[in-house]
Amino acid sequence: MKTKKQQHTDHSLRAYAWKQFRHNRPAYVSLYVLGLLALIAIFSPIIANEKPLYISYKGESYFPAFSFKKNYVIPHSDGTTENIQLDIADWKHMSLDKVIWAPVPYSPGKADNKNTHYKGPGDEQLFTDNNGNTVPMPARFRHRLGTGNLGEDILSGLIHGARISLTIGFISMAIATFIGLILGSIAGYFGDNRLITTRGRFWMTALGIIAAWFYAFQVRQIILEDAIKESGMKLLLQLVLSLIIFSVVVFIFSQAGKFIGKLPWLRKKVYIHADSLISRLIEIFYSMPTFILIITIAAIAKPSLVNLMVIIGLTSWTGIARFTRAEFLKIRNLEYIQAARSLGFSEMKIIMRHALPNGLAPALVTIAFGIAAAILTESGLSFLGIGVPADIVTWGSLVNEGRANFSAWWLVIFPGLAIFITVTAYNLIGEGLRDALDPRLKK
Amino acid sequence: MGKYILKRILFFIPTLVIISLLAFVISINAPGDPLDRMVSANNSGGEASLQSLNTTKEKERWRKKLGLDLPVFYISISNRATPDTLYKVYDDTKREGLNRLIKQYGNWEEISSYHRSIYPLLQAHQHIIIDSVTAAMYGKNVLADTLNESKFTVISLFSAYDDNVIQTKFRQLERMYAAYPVFDELKTLLEETKLHYAAINKNASAYKNYIPTIHFYAYNQYHRWIFGDGNWLTGKGSKDCRGLIRGDFGYSYETKLPVSSVIADRMRWSLLFTLISIILAYMISLPIGIKAAAHKNSLFDRTSSVVLFILYSMPAFWVATLLLMTFANTNVLPWFPASGIQPATGIPEDASIFQTIGIRLPYLILPTICYTYAQLAFLSRITRVSTLEIISQDYIRTAHAKGLSERAVIYKHAFRNALLPIITIFSNIFPLALSGSVILETIFTIPGMGQQIFQAILAKDYPVIIDVFTLTGVLTLIGYLFADILYAVADPRISYASK
Repeated sequence: MKTKKQQHTDHSLRAYAWKQFRHNRPAYVSLYVLGLLALIAIFSPIIANEKPLYISYKGESYFPAFSFKKNYVIPHSDGTTENIQLDIADWKHMSLDKVIWAPVPYSPGKADNKNTHYKGPGDEQLFTDNNGNTVPMPARFRHRLGTGNLGEDILSGLIHGARISLTIGFISMAIATFIGLILGSIAGYFGDNRLITTRGRFWMTALGIIAAWFYAFQVRQIILEDAIKESGMKLLLQLVLSLIIFSVVVFIFSQAGKFIGKLPWLRKKVYIHADSLISRLIEIFYSMPTFILIITIAAIAKPSLVNLMVIIGLTSWTGIARFTRAEFLKIRNLEYIQAARSLGFSEMKIIMRHALPNGLAPALVTIAFGIAAAILTESGLSFLGIGVPADIVTWGSLVNEGRANFSAWWLVIFPGLAIFITVTAYNLIGEGLRDALDPRLKK
Repeated sequence: MGKYILKRILFFIPTLVIISLLAFVISINAPGDPLDRMVSANNSGGEASLQSLNTTKEKERWRKKLGLDLPVFYISISNRATPDTLYKVYDDTKREGLNRLIKQYGNWEEISSYHRSIYPLLQAHQHIIIDSVTAAMYGKNVLADTLNESKFTVISLFSAYDDNVIQTKFRQLERMYAAYPVFDELKTLLEETKLHYAAINKNASAYKNYIPTIHFYAYNQYHRWIFGDGNWLTGKGSKDCRGLIRGDFGYSYETKLPVSSVIADRMRWSLLFTLISIILAYMISLPIGIKAAAHKNSLFDRTSSVVLFILYSMPAFWVATLLLMTFANTNVLPWFPASGIQPATGIPEDASIFQTIGIRLPYLILPTICYTYAQLAFLSRITRVSTLEIISQDYIRTAHAKGLSERAVIYKHAFRNALLPIITIFSNIFPLALSGSVILETIFTIPGMGQQIFQAILAKDYPVIIDVFTLTGVLTLIGYLFADILYAVADPRISYASK
């Protein structure tokens, strides 16, 4: 019985789209490629690390790559202790009893004095053995994709760069999706004539927003400024506190507005033109030179990955908002929404529980393309050296290093390929999603 | 039609306002004091005190010239405790100190009289004359050192706001003055300052910080930046700043010259590359897209779409670097120059236009390729899709049924109608190409706006950054307007009167 029922439900759009998507070979393969990239990104500290995964030293076992400690204090048999600082220890020249190296035994951006000035993957690479003699590089420690000017290992940079690119793509798009979905669904669901309130409540809420801004940010200005100077955690805490104050004040004013809205003149109904307002906002943001805006803000804000994600996220939500709005305009007149409304569900519940799950599909396509675009933006910025801290190795910064020395082709080819593959994978997935979700292509 | 265009132009005003506001907010929050930047380079050498006097005067002059002595915006939401003239305190550290005192005590009257009482105390340091008798008594150096120390402590009072810190400083000063009777004048002045400070504590009214007030300023920094310091409409009577709407972009921190003098020349290069690449992209991708649509699923269709898709996913800076590595590399293929737009020796003055183009051509080829390739995929894909859509329509079938040749059907009937979405795509491509210029101009060292903004970022030359941002915004909007008008002209079916 049950299988019969399942067969019946398999005609849903979701199941159909998934089937279509699976038939799209390039898109499906891209999913696997991305999965692999994500694994590399997640495990990059284990895959490429100059600290060994496991050592046995003076009879004790340690796991330097997994350790959060700054240093090991190792007791010797003669009563003295040895202090090993994890981040600057020369692991490759310690007399270790047993050692298991990471697959790529180098950390990104760390200099290798024996292999400076751009050693290619096929060039002769050098190594100092434990007796202090310079010998050809042992196969285990070869820089497989070459080195940069200071002898930095490129493969290690690539592996850790994957982490940065994917994180930036993901988080910035998460921010953009959050904004885009909220604005798009409000615009599409309420339109210009469904968000109705009384004159009194409207003006009280408007007043409340100004007051809330005053009490949440103006009064607490000095506290916030001090928090910025101290640490990111403190700032986050204070910001959350400010936001709570903000919403409490708005809530109080809006509730007061409810009562004021019962007075004669203030009772009149007001339509809030949510759609017009948000559409205008979308158009304004859409017609801004985004990349220049990002560069401008990145140039003035402190270079940090978090800032970069926020900036990219705040400037790339328009596509998602547009598609969500269009979808919600369609959905809001469908029977099941009408039914939910007539049952007296709150608007919030209808949007979250009923409309959003069904209106999400077109946003997915934009998100996939958006991640590709965000990764391109990030690599472009780090290529220029804007917005990304100088000590962080990214794919873009590697290509930029290659620009300084054209004979070091490995510095340009490999990171470029990495960007290209990632971007292509996201674009192919976006493409596949679009085709799968397009009912016109239904056979 | 004219009405429609007018409407579009009117519609751009809010967008422009938002762009200018964004630029303004960014420039206000830019770190560092612009006055320091403007003045620092001018002063090198000279006696220390004279130099500092010069610096103060110079700073005051630039402050006026840049309009930094004005309130920031039309409206400011503030509180009852903070006076609406606080922005006139031009020293950042002093303003910060005052602001924090206000946040603690909320009584501006007392705070300002305390603040003002520090000035005579500071000035009195210059009146102290160490005569030979006292010098012999205590040692000249000891006295001079103490005087200096006292001076610095008094100056630090301006920015101090913590009660403990201020009390400690008072005690330090008292100890110094008690030791040497020569400082009696300072002692009395210090007593006065202490009284003023005690009054702050006594009459504290911190609650005023929680009562909001709104101030309006008709003339402010934003207004001045946009409309200049004369009449806002006619621009009459403006002295230092004619306003953005009259093409005055302010001063560069680096060169201290008006920004607009550099930007016009730079804009020429950016626009040249953008437009050439767009025209090229249209010329290449239209035939590809139409051919791919006409022979759907043919070998040509599939290969072209794969190749274009690959091109689309390649980051421009990577392609540019690869091209330079291969074709401008003396070790591989030294076909093209690696950077710039003309030979280092320049172009001979008597060269004709064609000679100039001939000399410049090798410099322009690689950048043009990079500008163009990314747009190809986008354009030909749109062309293909919209042609496909048209081909499946009834009138095309009719045309086929009439016995028209394939060629005639495609180029006469289908192409015209497929053109519409292709035109609108111009509005997407134009800003894309403009933004791309930052990276490409930097790689190929083309003296355009993109390179300008990059150099300005490295030099932290904020006025230039802000102006380039605003200008690209305006150019982007003009691109949109152009596309809209083209669209209106090309499609008579759309009625613009009603909308």
